[in-house]
Amino acid sequence: MSTAKVAILVFPGTNSEVETWRLCCDVGLDAHVVHWSHAATLPRYDAYVLPGGFAYEDRIRAGAVPAHDPMMDYVIEGAQRGKLVFGICNGAQILLEAGLVPGTGPLRRPTAAFTRNGPVPHFVCRHVYMKFASDPARCAITAALERDALIPAWAAHGEGRLAATAEHLREIVDGGHLTFVYARADGSIDDGATPNASALGCAGLTNREGNVLAIMPHPERDGWNYNHPDRKTGDNMLAPSGGALLFQSFAKALA
Amino acid sequence: MRSFRVQGLTDDELRRAAAAAGLALRVDELRRIAERLGRDPSMVEVHAFDAQWSEHCSYKSSRHLLRKLPTEGPTVMQGPAEDAGILHLGEWQGEKWGVVIAHESHNHPSQVVPFEGAATGVGGIVRDVLCMGAEVIAIADPLRFGRAEDPDSHQRYVARGVVDGISAYGNAIGVPNIAGDVYFDERFDDNCLVNVVALGLIKERDIIHSAAPPGSAGWDIVLVGKATDTSGFGGAAFSSVTLDEEDEDANKGAVQVPDPFLKNVIMRATYRVFSYLRERNITAGFKDLGAGGIMGCTAELCASGGFGAIVDLDDVNTAIKNMPPEVIAVGETQERLCWILPGDVTADILQIYNQEFSLPEIARSACATVIGCVQGDKQYVLRHGDEIVMDVPIEFLTGSIRDDLPVRPMSERKVTDPARRYVGGSYDLAELFPRILGHRDVCSREPLYVRYDGVVRGTTVVPRGNASAGVIAPLAGSPFGVALAVAGNPRYSKADPFLAAEYAVLESVRKVTSVGARALGLTDCLNFGNPQNVDHYSELVYAIDGLAMAASRLGTPYVSGNVSLYNESRGGNAIPASPIVACVGALDDVARTITPALKRAGSALYAVGTPQNASGGAVFAELLEQTGGPLAPIDYDRANAEIAFLHAARDAGLILSSRSIGNGGVAVALAEMAFSSLHASPVGVRLSQPESWTDGTVGDLESYFGECWGFVVETGDRRAFEAIASEEVRVFRIGETIANATFALGGVQFNLRMLRAAWSSPLAELYP
Repeated sequence: MSTAKVAILVFPGTNSEVETWRLCCDVGLDAHVVHWSHAATLPRYDAYVLPGGFAYEDRIRAGAVPAHDPMMDYVIEGAQRGKLVFGICNGAQILLEAGLVPGTGPLRRPTAAFTRNGPVPHFVCRHVYMKFASDPARCAITAALERDALIPAWAAHGEGRLAATAEHLREIVDGGHLTFVYARADGSIDDGATPNASALGCAGLTNREGNVLAIMPHPERDGWNYNHPDRKTGDNMLAPSGGALLFQSFAKALA
Repeated sequence: MRSFRVQGLTDDELRRAAAAAGLALRVDELRRIAERLGRDPSMVEVHAFDAQWSEHCSYKSSRHLLRKLPTEGPTVMQGPAEDAGILHLGEWQGEKWGVVIAHESHNHPSQVVPFEGAATGVGGIVRDVLCMGAEVIAIADPLRFGRAEDPDSHQRYVARGVVDGISAYGNAIGVPNIAGDVYFDERFDDNCLVNVVALGLIKERDIIHSAAPPGSAGWDIVLVGKATDTSGFGGAAFSSVTLDEEDEDANKGAVQVPDPFLKNVIMRATYRVFSYLRERNITAGFKDLGAGGIMGCTAELCASGGFGAIVDLDDVNTAIKNMPPEVIAVGETQERLCWILPGDVTADILQIYNQEFSLPEIARSACATVIGCVQGDKQYVLRHGDEIVMDVPIEFLTGSIRDDLPVRPMSERKVTDPARRYVGGSYDLAELFPRILGHRDVCSREPLYVRYDGVVRGTTVVPRGNASAGVIAPLAGSPFGVALAVAGNPRYSKADPFLAAEYAVLESVRKVTSVGARALGLTDCLNFGNPQNVDHYSELVYAIDGLAMAASRLGTPYVSGNVSLYNESRGGNAIPASPIVACVGALDDVARTITPALKRAGSALYAVGTPQNASGGAVFAELLEQTGGPLAPIDYDRANAEIAFLHAARDAGLILSSRSIGNGGVAVALAEMAFSSLHASPVGVRLSQPESWTDGTVGDLESYFGECWGFVVETGDRRAFEAIASEEVRVFRIGETIANATFALGGVQFNLRMLRAAWSSPLAELYP
């Protein structure tokens, strides 16, 4: 077990803190759920996980309001000092709105956003695969993944389409920020694999320094074998599944 | 206090006065109130009785019928007395765990304001489970819509708005939607049905009751949640009358306004309160606010404990100033709960809600606050300003009232001729099978449920739409699985309301069985027309008899339920008899879940059950325009033996995949199992000629598409599978799986992907 302490942040409206906490614990992390009223305890933690949900009920745009919550002052400060920050779904939206990812502009002035799904703008709940699209060393949280690794996960969001100007999208590609793209079970990539018309087929991004990761799909919902649609008879159903690979890599980075 | 004049008025005058005040109380009921009180009731009192004596709260025309339903058995941890029932899941690490289940309708509000109506339906059912002390672990949504084909129709507005409302609410609070169904039928044009089911998880010793605990005289009554506003005034009464288009504005005012964001926070704060109370071994009372608002909830909480209450309406946090006392007392503002707490912990509980979870910052004027106290005498008293605005015997208010309504004898019920056979006209299978797959009751529901979060909480084992039932593993670290399925076929009600109710039970149990779970128990939601109409009321009576019969014979008790009457428009269009049943199942080990995707080529395919020449309610008969056939009677000895056989075959490792047979019959069940294999390595189906299944005793169409038999099963070991079938179980070898994406049926070779296209596209237009 790692000695690092991990905070799972709960904003008003967060809804995925329990499974995120469970998977963190199952990969050996010392994880604690921290509610907004205990924000002042955040500096005591070594890493932050921002789980899914609808923080501040997605007012204005998903992530826009919580990016200004006092909890984010601590997260931003921690990130700037090199702490690992991992945002999933609504957590990822918050990290983009806070300007931490891709981190190519000023703080809280996003250069890219995960916004309303396309082509039809409604919530989508679909099993997907995230294909590891960058060099393992590029981001500390993904450092233990193999090149081209496929992470099973569930997309479950109404605002997961990466949107940015052509110039900022180029910055994302050229700067190596694109960490995960949507793929099929066999690793192939096409438009049909992307559930939300996300630009670049983007499922996840990192910042310049590689200590902050924002992913839209939920690997923690394919975190145990019983969750996995193509589980094999005879597998230990309570053991971590493919979705846990990313959490294991996160734990290694904190070891 | 303002009074409502009863004494000295003629019946006609009283009827007019009641209508003018927006009351649903009848003249005889108003007179009964005045007589018991010995005076004219106050305005607040008359609205309180209006809510409390509505069908919605009092079940006055159904309670005595519901006593016929079996409610006991070894699986029952708590039967139907409170907001939700509880079934034994199993023992884990020395603790007994239960599954809480509640089932409700939100039909009337959803017809008027679909998004809000459906969302508040989810909100209400979640509170029913929460107030038992449970963690909410799943929801399901059986829906019935009218014809939604016309883009400009109100029916389309309803069909879309309801789904959006369920999606917006359920997703935000973070509870997975794991089961449900939807039927479209013109008889739901004026009255949609929105049923909602919620499940919770609880340790037996942690159950919190909806009653003021023993010795609680003098304890605090604490209201938690959204500031009381004018929304939902008259909601209970509104649910108990026929919808009138002219009153649309009044109806809209009766619909509550959902706030899933606030609910998300209240749920989490309440979980924290649960642990606070458990750490200190404190017994409290807890109940959600639904019909009848503050008055209904506090009166029922205190009356159930044998107490009275005083509530000060001035202490209620309201959204606007100077609200009339009857609106504060009876209005059904959403997102509210009520605790009965010993005075020495109240401050800590208020601190959890108001500071730690900062309710007042989450929604304007939301908070937890003391509004009254439990009284030793059995009076229910409301104060407002300097006045007592209500002072009535609490048991008179909450006690049972009963309407005895005329019923036709069972023998007079309209049923289709049991001797009537389907007459095989000409048909073309190449054209018919894709049409059946594309039928509005058969085609894929994915365009609808893809909008629901089915996997939040990370416990989902079989997501919505994959199998006949959804499965979750709700208890972290344990291998326990919980399965949930719903059933209730409106096409069957046309044929026979009694048998249709029996089939609703049987189908829900079979669905849960088909994923490998043991059926633990049931809930029922009885959606019917106007009980004052003898035909509609008789249908209700027959349906309850059918529900009782099926559940007794299958050994599955009811632990909770709901009645929704008056599903009728002023034009007299009533819905078809719609008993909707939910079944909870348990798996001791989720590793033994049966999944529906065909696994490999070369397996044998079996149908388990009894095929019959009964085309009643079948989709194929509707498409071939030969409706009016009978439903097959149910042989419960066989049905039980088949269910036991499925479990035995599963335990012996002989089932590769399975599905219960429903809409569209064997062929549709197999097609859906084959579709599930398409994303990985496609497995196709070759069905043999039906003469070889049944020696020609059953027609081809009834064999392929008949809906009354039990299960289809894929097995890898034909010999062993047949060997363990007892004499009572009939298994029919109907074909085999093949290594390409085709489906061979009656000499026609269908391309599986083309069949899937026919099946998956129809609802995409309605839910793009």
